[in-house]
Amino acid sequence: MEILKDYRVHLLALLVVIMCEFIGKQAIWVITVYPMLYAMIIGGAISLPKLKILTNKNMHHASSVMIVTLMLLIAKLGVSVGPKINEIFNAKLALIFQEVGHFAGTILLGLPLAMMFGMGREAVGATYSVAREPNIAIVADKYGLDSPEGRGVMAMYVCGTLYGAIWMSILASIIARLDIIHPYALAMGAGIGSGSMMAASLAPISDLYPNIAGEIKAYATAANLMSSVLGIYIYILFSLPFASFLYNVLNRFRNKKSGAK
Amino acid sequence: MKILETIFLLILVAIIMAAGNSIGYQINFIDSLQALGMLVIISIIGFLISKLPLFKKLPVILWVSVVAAIMSSPIFPGHNMVVEITDQVSLLAICTPVLAYAGLAIGKDLALFKSISWRIIPVSLAVFSGTFIFAALIAQLTLHWEGII
Repeated sequence: MEILKDYRVHLLALLVVIMCEFIGKQAIWVITVYPMLYAMIIGGAISLPKLKILTNKNMHHASSVMIVTLMLLIAKLGVSVGPKINEIFNAKLALIFQEVGHFAGTILLGLPLAMMFGMGREAVGATYSVAREPNIAIVADKYGLDSPEGRGVMAMYVCGTLYGAIWMSILASIIARLDIIHPYALAMGAGIGSGSMMAASLAPISDLYPNIAGEIKAYATAANLMSSVLGIYIYILFSLPFASFLYNVLNRFRNKKSGAK
Repeated sequence: MKILETIFLLILVAIIMAAGNSIGYQINFIDSLQALGMLVIISIIGFLISKLPLFKKLPVILWVSVVAAIMSSPIFPGHNMVVEITDQVSLLAICTPVLAYAGLAIGKDLALFKSISWRIIPVSLAVFSGTFIFAALIAQLTLHWEGII
């Protein structure tokens, strides 16, 4: 019951929430910022070690509570699936194929960039997935966390925790405003397999299309569900080996190029 | 985490969410509490399932979303009520406390972040963008092909 009794963390959370909801959402240029983003930034500022408001223990408690709050978030998203269950079954092929984009997209966009920056095998761990908890476990199991791959996945995990949600919200808001991709497809793109990143990217999309917000939530949740069911197997059998293979191919190319100079 | 503590934490966080929901989205506090109460029930059922021997292998988040999907679909007798009650809480109101707690935990990761090379920042942005953009593009093509959009 230690976490429950940590009143300092809960009171601060309540204050931050009340403050952020009072401010409400604001539009800055094409980006809409939601109370959840200020909540994260204000919370982060409070937790700065220099201010000495929270101890390390308080922060670990906050992190455990976050996992619990995710259940409520997922429950809210989940109840949007039932009423749209028929639509979702009609889109089953799209739901299956878009997962290829989820699982290959990180590697295709991330790995070449990481290698251009001169990263070594760290690039494999860093780009094979969005680096949430299960992904750390998979790398730890195969390479160990002291390996370059392990350092890569840990570094990405920290980045995701720090600004993953903020970035996804900005990105989704810009892409949704371009109006080239249908909101249903965007919704599926938002079903990343990370609760907070999904919620952050979903908010601007459903806000732009209030009439079909129910469908948008349902598609995103179904995609997220697929990511979490298939995730662990695909990461082990496809993503990690593919990232490693692509690294070796690109590395040969990189070595040749630097050898020729 | 212990079962009883998790249940109490769910209730505590639900109250914070209900407060945010009435302040930010003009829904009265009692309706907000009811909506959150329903979500707490769904979460507890999902959480308890995830503690069963055979179901332990999959994450709790998965079981919560399966329970929520079943309770809101036509095969479940009270599905209309479940949907109606939970409609009283905005998704955004739930997100705010999630990220508030995430924010309050950030401090502990800052030292680790400082020890990482700056190069990870652009790479991480590419990775997060990649998964979203590629999946959305493939979904666009296949949804179009299935005749849904």
